[in-house]
This record gives sequence, C-alpha cells and structure tokens, in this order.
Amino acid sequence: MSTNSFKFAGGRNSGAKNWYMQRITGILLVVVLIGHYILMHATPESGHTYKAVMDRLHQPAWKVIDMAFVTLGLWHGLNGLWNVIRDYEMKPIMTTVLYTVLVLIALVFWFIGLNTILSF
Amino acid sequence: MSLQNSTSKFNRWLDVMFRYRKHTGSWAWILHRFTGIGLTLYILVHIIALTGLLKGEAAFNEEMKLFSSPVFLFAEWFLGILVMFHAINGIRIVLVDLGNGARYHKQILVFVYILTVILVAGMGYLIFAHV
Repeated sequence: MSTNSFKFAGGRNSGAKNWYMQRITGILLVVVLIGHYILMHATPESGHTYKAVMDRLHQPAWKVIDMAFVTLGLWHGLNGLWNVIRDYEMKPIMTTVLYTVLVLIALVFWFIGLNTILSF
Repeated sequence: MSLQNSTSKFNRWLDVMFRYRKHTGSWAWILHRFTGIGLTLYILVHIIALTGLLKGEAAFNEEMKLFSSPVFLFAEWFLGILVMFHAINGIRIVLVDLGNGARYHKQILVFVYILTVILVAGMGYLIFAHV
C-alpha cells in the first residue's frame, strides 16, 4: 500500500495484537457457533420458542455464554471491517472518522445486545 | 504518473481489481472478505431482531412467525452459505498463519469448498424438512 506501510512495524500501532486476536476470537466463535447451530437449526422446536429462550436466559451460565457470543461476534466483525478499511489508502482524517464510526457501532450494539440478555 | 492524472482513483482501483490475476488463494481471500462484511451486517440486524424478546411472548412469537415464512427460511439458508464458508475458511487461515498450513493451503481450500457444500446441503435439509 502506501510508502508508510512499515511506519508502525514493531510499534504499539502495528495491528499485530488485533491480527492475533482476530484469529483467537475466530476460533472461539467457531466453537460457540457449532453449539448455536445445533441448538437453533438441528432442533428448531426447542431453540426458537419464547419459552425455550426464557428458560435459557434465566440461567446465569447461558447469560455468560450469550454475552460472550455477542461480544466476540461484534469485536471480530467490526475488527474485520477495520482490517478492510486499513487495506485502502485514504486521508488520515477519513481513517479517524471511519474508526470512530466503527467504535460507536460497537458500543451501541454491544449495549443493545447486553441489555436484551440482562433484562431477564 | 500519467495514469494517475487521466483516471480517477476509483477507476484505477477497479482496473487493478479486474486485471489482477486471481489464483486459488485470491478467490478464497475475496470470498472470505465479502462473506465477512455480510456477516458483520447480519450480526447487527440479529441483535436488533432479538430485542423483540423485550416486548413479551405474544409479540416475540409473532416476530418468529414472520421469520419462519418461506422468504426468511430461504434467506436463512443463504446466510448459512456465508457462515459455513467463513467459518471453515477461517480455520484454514488459522492453519496457514499459526500452523503449517502454508505448505498445503490449496488442498485445504478444496476441502473447505467440499465441506461448505456438504454442510449447506445438510442445513437445507434441516431447514426445509420441518416446513
């Protein structure tokens, strides 16, 4: 990309931690996703009904799993979008604006998701 | 550069995009990127849709009835393609980056495509067998 590609190499802003965490969260998401698909698609009658969801949401362990799922999914997805954005050369102000938008989306949707889980 | 002056930045980007020779891995990269963007948009919709739980049982079940209509079931199946490919190819990326996968990433990719087709077909059965 730009001539500054290596400006951050080895530094705090190299993105190496995000790169590594993208893999870690990805592996965790695959694990949770297998359970999610078995629960929601292999056994639709037990997964989708209001009563079944309420049963689960009243157990602290399920709340923790659901909150982890929301957190991991949002972080992995929005960090992925940030990776896409970083692939393109643009004015620094544009990068800052887009980064701020991604952080705001993350915070708003994290709040909405956790609010749904913790309301029960 | 004369090229820079004659065409816009976006046109140059498109030009490179289409002329760039796409190898096996390039297609995996393109598919992984587009499925990833799609899934990120979907998780936002998913989080909003589940706020229906806050409106009580009747409203939620009404919402679920809508999501069980044929159009949504088909959309769900299509979503499965994105999920399965992204998840399995993601494992391939981890094998390449953190394991020894770079030596046989093309073979893994064939496996990824085959496994995606099998899982999506199985998903289709699970979704539509109940209708």
